[in-house]
Formats: sequence, C-alpha cells, structure tokens
Amino acid sequence: MLGKLSFRNAKRQAKDYCIYFITVIISVALMFSFNSIAKSNDISELSSYMEFFSKAISGISILIVLVMAWLINYCMRFMLEKRSKEFGTYQILGIEKKSISNIFTLENLMIGGIAFIIGIAIGTFVYQIFTSIIMNLFNQPYQIEISFSIKAVGMTAIYFFGIFALVLLNCRRKIKKTKVYDLLYANKKNENNMIKNTKGNVILFALSIVLLVGAILINNNEFANASNMIGRNIFIAIIMLIVGIYLFYISISSFIVKRYLNNKSRKYKKDNMFLYRNLTSKINTMSLSLGTIALMFTIILIGGNIALLMNNMINNEIEMGYPYEIMISAADGDFSKYKEYIEKNTKVKDMYEYRLYNIKGIGLSTAFEKTPFKGAVDKEIDSVLSLTTYNKLREILGYEKVDLQDDEIMINCLKTAKGGLEKYTKENDKTKIVGKDVKIKEIRSENIAQVGFNGSYYAIIVPDSLIPLIEKEDKRLRDKNDDNATTVKEGEEKSEIYFLDFAYNFVATTENMTDEKFYKELSNYIVKQEREIAGEVNGEEQNYNIEISLANVQTKGERMSQTKSFYTIMSFLAFYVALIFVMATATLLAIQQLSDSEKYKYRYELLRKLGVDELQINRTIFKQLLFYFAIPMVLPVIISIPVILGVGQIFTVAVTMEEIFKNIGIMLGMFILVYGIYFIATDVQFDRNINGNG
Amino acid sequence: MKKILKVEQIQKYYGNKDNITKAIDGISFDVEEGEFIGIMGASGSGKTTLLNCISTIDTVSSGHIYLENQDITEIKEENIAKFRRENLGFIFQDFNLLDTLTIEENIALILTINKVQEKEIDKKTLEIARKLGIEEILTKYPYQVSGGQKQRCAVCRAIVNNPKIILADEPTGSLDSKAARQLLEIMEDMNNKMKATILMVTHDPLSASYAKKILFLKDGKIFNKIEKGEKRRKDFYNEILDVLALLGGDTRDVR
Repeated sequence: MLGKLSFRNAKRQAKDYCIYFITVIISVALMFSFNSIAKSNDISELSSYMEFFSKAISGISILIVLVMAWLINYCMRFMLEKRSKEFGTYQILGIEKKSISNIFTLENLMIGGIAFIIGIAIGTFVYQIFTSIIMNLFNQPYQIEISFSIKAVGMTAIYFFGIFALVLLNCRRKIKKTKVYDLLYANKKNENNMIKNTKGNVILFALSIVLLVGAILINNNEFANASNMIGRNIFIAIIMLIVGIYLFYISISSFIVKRYLNNKSRKYKKDNMFLYRNLTSKINTMSLSLGTIALMFTIILIGGNIALLMNNMINNEIEMGYPYEIMISAADGDFSKYKEYIEKNTKVKDMYEYRLYNIKGIGLSTAFEKTPFKGAVDKEIDSVLSLTTYNKLREILGYEKVDLQDDEIMINCLKTAKGGLEKYTKENDKTKIVGKDVKIKEIRSENIAQVGFNGSYYAIIVPDSLIPLIEKEDKRLRDKNDDNATTVKEGEEKSEIYFLDFAYNFVATTENMTDEKFYKELSNYIVKQEREIAGEVNGEEQNYNIEISLANVQTKGERMSQTKSFYTIMSFLAFYVALIFVMATATLLAIQQLSDSEKYKYRYELLRKLGVDELQINRTIFKQLLFYFAIPMVLPVIISIPVILGVGQIFTVAVTMEEIFKNIGIMLGMFILVYGIYFIATDVQFDRNINGNG
Repeated sequence: MKKILKVEQIQKYYGNKDNITKAIDGISFDVEEGEFIGIMGASGSGKTTLLNCISTIDTVSSGHIYLENQDITEIKEENIAKFRRENLGFIFQDFNLLDTLTIEENIALILTINKVQEKEIDKKTLEIARKLGIEEILTKYPYQVSGGQKQRCAVCRAIVNNPKIILADEPTGSLDSKAARQLLEIMEDMNNKMKATILMVTHDPLSASYAKKILFLKDGKIFNKIEKGEKRRKDFYNEILDVLALLGGDTRDVR
C-alpha cells in the first residue's frame, strides 16, 4: 500500500510540478549531451586543440553540478513544505517517520529515474545536433547516427544521482526533525511580512547604489588602459558588486513601499496597492535568494558578453591577419623551392612574392594616439609597400586597383585604427618621406594581413617612383642592424637595434583550405631549407635554438583549426553555463509563484468576490508575475551594460564598437528569450491555478 | 466502568518568560470506556490545544495524561507512531484524507499500517463502509465526493482499527447542516452500538448536544460540566445554551 501511495504521489508530483520535472529533464539532457561531447572521439580527433575543450567541459560540469544541486534541493524542500499537511496526516495515522521518509525518497527516485531516462533520450538527440554543428564549423562531413557512449551515461548518472542522494538525505533529516504539530498547522502560520526599520533600509538602499556605481567606475577605469596590469582593484570592484547586489535586494522592498505605498494618490491608483503588497511581502521573505538570482544573471550577462567579445576578437584576427591562405616571410629572397613544394602539395590559385621595406618612422605614432593602438606602434620604424605590390596584393583578394600621384602616399591599416587615423590626417595631411614632401592621399582599411606580416597594424603605400630612395633607406637600416649585432660585445651597451620586418614576403591563395598537417610539414621543410642556406653562408653547421628565426610561416588553415577550437570552447561553454543558470533561476521563480498560487488563489478569489472581473484579474496576475520575474533581472541588465562597455575597452584593438553593441543585443535577446518562455509558461499555469476550480 | 483516559493537572504554556500565554491552566478529568464527551468553549479557550495534547500532536508543559495506565506524556519519540496507530482514531474538521488514494484505500491504509492480514482488510473495509453508508463511493477519489461523504470516510478510517479512543476536532465544521446531522447520528450510533469512546471538540451547541457529557472550557480552565443523563436532546441543547450564555460567548449567533 505504501508503495502504491508513493507511486501515485510521484505521478501527481510530475503533473503538479511540471516545470520542475521538465527542468530536471532538460538539465539531464544538457549534462548528458555535453558529457558525450567531452568524451566523443569524433570531436577530439578534429584538431589537436580540442583536448583542452574536453577538459574545459569536464571542469565546467562541476560548476553546473553545484547549480543543479542548489536547484533540486530548493525544489524538494519546497515540495516538502507544500506537503507538510499530508506528511502530518501520515504521522497522525501512525506511520513511522522512517516510512514517511521512505515514501518521499521512493517517489522522488521514481520522478528522478523517469526524468533521467527521458533526459538521456533527449540528450542523445541534442548531442547529435551539437556534434553536427561542431563538425560543420570544421567543414567535416558528419553522418547523424544514434549512438551513445556508456561512459557519458555513467558520468551523467553519477552526477545526477549524486545530487539526488545528497538532497534526499537532507530532506530525510528535515522530516526527522520536524514535529507533527508544525506539519499540521504550518499553513496557519503568518508570513513574516512586516517591514522593519524603513529608514535603515533606505540608507542600505542608498549604500547599495553607491557600491554598484563605485564598482562600475573602478572597473571601467581599470580597463581604460590596455597596458595596465589588471589586479587588485578589479577584485575590490567584484566584491563591491556582490555586496551591492545583495544590499539592493535586501532594501528594495522598503524603497518600493516608501515610493508607492506612502503616496496615497499612487497607492490607490488601479490595482497598485494589491500588487505592491503581494510583491513586497514576497521580496522581503526572499531577498537573499533574489540577490543570488540577480548575481547569477549578472555573471551570465557579463561572462557571456566577454565570451562573445573573445570570439569577435579571434574572428577579426583571422579576418584581418589571414586574408591569404599561405604567408611566408624570409630574410632571403629565394622562394622558388617553397613555391615548388606548395604547388606539389596543394592546389594554388594565386601566388605572389614581393619586397617589404622598412624606413625610419615618419611620425605616424602620434597619429595612432587617437586609435586603440595607442602606445603599441613602433615609432622608430615604418613598413612600406610599393603601389604595384599593393595593387597586386589587392587584386589577389579581389579589390579594385588604386592610384597615386608621384607626390602622394596612402596608408593601409586595420579597420579598428581607421577612424582615429583619419581624424589625424584630416588636419595633418602633409608629411616628409625619405626627404621628399608628400601628401597623405587617404587611409584605407582593406585586410591585407597587417597583424605583423605586411606591417604591424599599418603600412605606408608609396608610388613606384619613390622606391629607389626607399630601398636605399631600407638597406641602410639593415646594414646598421647587422653591424650593431656583430660589433656588440658582452657587457657593452647595445646601440640602437631596429625591429625590422623580414625583407621578403610571399603570399598564396589556394582552392581548398589547408590543414594542420600541411602547415607542420611546410614549416619543417622551410626551416630545413633556411638552415641549409644559413649553414652554407657561414660555411659550417649552425646550432639554432629558435625554430624559425630566418623565416616565418603562417597558414590560415592552421590558425583556423586553432582558433575554431577556441571559438567552439568559448561559445559552447558560455551557452551551456548561461542556459543552465537561466533555467535554474527561472524554474526557481516559477515554482515559487506556482506553489504559492494556493495562497494567491484565496487573495484573488477575494478580489473576485469584491467585484473584480476575470479580465482584470488576469491582467493583475500578469502584472504580478511580470514584476516578480523582472525584479531580479532589471538590476543585472542595468549593471552589466556599463561593465561590458568597460571591459570591452581592452578589446577595441580588434573589435569595433558596433560589434560590442551587437554582442550585448545578442546576449540580452537570448537571455530574454529563455527567460520569457519560463515567464509565459508560469503565467499560463498560474492563471489556470487561480481561475480553475480544484 | 473502566477508566480509559485520565488527565491529571495538565498545563500548556506558550510564549517566552516575559509574555506567557496559558492555553491550558490545570485541567483534570477522566474518561470512561464508552463515553461520548464534548468539549466546548469560545475560541482561544484551549479546547483544541487540549485535544492536541491528548492526541500526542502537541506536548504538555506539565501534568500527566494516562491512556489505560500508560503515561502518554512520556512516550519516546520512536514509539509514538506505534502508539498512535494502535490506540487513537482521528477525525479532523478538514478531513485530512489523502487525495492520491481512493476512499476505499484511505480506509484500508490504516489497516495495512497496522499489518492486518490482506484477506481481512477487504472485509473490514467493506463492512465499515456499509455501516456508514459509503460503500457506493468506495472506488472514487476524495475530490470526487461531497464533504459529508469525505467526513464519513474519515470516520471509517478513525474507527476501522477499533482504537481505544476517537478524537474529533470540529468534525462538523466544514459540513452543511444536513451532512452534519447525518455525521453526528453516525457518531452517536458508533458510541451506542459499537461502544466507541469519543472525545469531540466543538463550538456548535447542536453538535455538542449529541454527546453524553460536556466539558466547558474558559481561559484554559474547566468552567463547567454537564451530563445528558436521561434528558431529551432538545432539553440538553437548551441546557448547553444556558451554560454558554453564562460563559459569555458564542450565543448571539444561535438564538
């Protein structure tokens, strides 16, 4: 009979606590699919960098387990409270506490077991979807097949039932401790909703605002200068933020009371009084959990945005730094052997080799003061390309030809520097280059590999007529460097050494993207060749410590597989954590409201008896839930935007402002979408609970 | 007659040192086998607290309660469930039926807890249900039947195990007058025919008039005691109203 009882209870629970049940299922599904990805051979074989991804997932899982434990514990205790009368009746009938604990354990294990099985089934599909997305990112074909790893099931089971066991033990202890009197008369107890010491709370409220604003200011100040070491101040800001958020939610209810209920004309407007009293009594009893929820939202919004910023940065770096598939630069100008090798190993579309010149800086570093690259450009040296070379580089990428007069130059720079440079050159368009007066015609920002290949962040484009003079200047600098390098003796202070670019560059585009293996073999080949050349020059075998000091090889394919792993890691983890956090908190809010609907039912019933019609009641319910869901969300949104803009300052080198705002939009949109689904589900269920007869 | 229950100088305090509320302030009385005792009093007079103390839901601050020579104020926590299921039957104002079980199962539950043989359970359940006129709704769930039927199911549950004493807290409180009268007649019947010992808390004079003996409480003390004896119920009812008038409460709405 007791078995039957717990079975029926489990069935009813699954129905009554539908949101809880679904959340457990989704959590299991996510846990399982991510564990599967962490253990998947398909994915770990994608690239050598994916190993880190698996480790990161396993690490993050621990965090998720903690959140899940918190959520499940909260839900179960809530149910325990809701069912106190039932358990009291059991005791009155003479059922031992131990048996009652057993009933509760059994029914929860049934619920958990069913949720686990459904979760694993759904998780298998989710895993397939995630895998095909990842495979797609790496341009790999993927056949969807139903298979799952026993290891992943085992891991998920350990996590999940571990949580369940701990929470159940906790509940059993609670059942053992409570007296039957408290169980039977629990619902007769008043909610302790008296607001004490309003004045003190207003001070707390002011203090929390001060702390939050202070934290944002410190944060933004700290990130304003990219060269700053980010250290203790950030730590202080984080603590201020946490304390501020909690104080805010401890004091907000009295603030609302003061603002709305002490002002009679506002208080008596529409349903304000009823709404605010419902809300304030609730907020007061749960200020700590609201604070925790708000803190989690803040973490999601800030963390998620930083992840997106990093993705942007990496994508932009590839876009800016790797427009060509293969890029080689060398001190020596003979590329014939490499060309041969490349043509043998991959299908080449276009190839081009050219000179990159260096001259003494013409003072552009002042122009860069107004860009994110402030202080990062070398003021001693500028990189120079001839107009012909520049046009050829453009042609390969499909850009139109540009033209220069003999007394004109132009600058091609990264897109993030363009705005600042243009501002400068508008006022100072005249300059001197290798002794000639020239006019800066324009600033262009096509991506021609300027992250340390065709110049660091920028290059000066000069008409071909100036090249002989430039070449002379370039040779002078290189000779001087060589002299300095050979004449400097130990202990002697080094005279000026310029950080010069490699003199000879080579770029190629290919039909297909090259892979990691191609890169490794190519760079090994080039290292070997360069060593031979260097060895020949000096007449004996040399011992090199640095692998590629005589040449530099970069391929887009290799960089992509490296950064895509990172991209995948960042976006998946951010997505995973954010989703579980939002779900956990939204479930918590939903369950709380739905479980209280019994009490609200009485209140709303009273409103109905006093003559409020159905439509109006539904509107009031909607408003109540909207406020209830919005309260822990508004503050995190308000806080996170300035914080993200602050943190974003260090990303401006590679990420434009528009992209930062777009990120904030995406993150908020996704967040509101998931949260909104929970809100609507709660509203529908709440309406049904209040208006239904049962 | 045999004494079943003996209440000796019990007191129950609430609150702290500075602000003590005496819910029960030295009450003593005896209950003999087969008695039907009503406990009356205004709200706050301590009647429910008294019942809770006897039913081991609440504990006394001082004094003793003996059920057949066993001091229930000194039963250990681990034995209390066993004590309840073997000795007590409960009827509550709001029924306290388990809504996941059918009416039949609600009654049978108490028997399974007491480890009655499976064959017996069905027989006993049906027998008691027939006596109380609810055999037709046995397969229904509590939310499908009326309040009166629910309360009769609760009575079945309270009596099916032949407890030493049945404790009823405002059993008619949630019922309409017809259902209430039906229920009271059943309880009276149980007392007369089955010799069940019943202790009933109520503030309704009509309900109380079905009891054989009534204790009136005021401010945690016994204020008065009356017995029905050979009187007709109508007279007993009037007598109750007179005492209530003396007690100074709850009479305005009955006359």
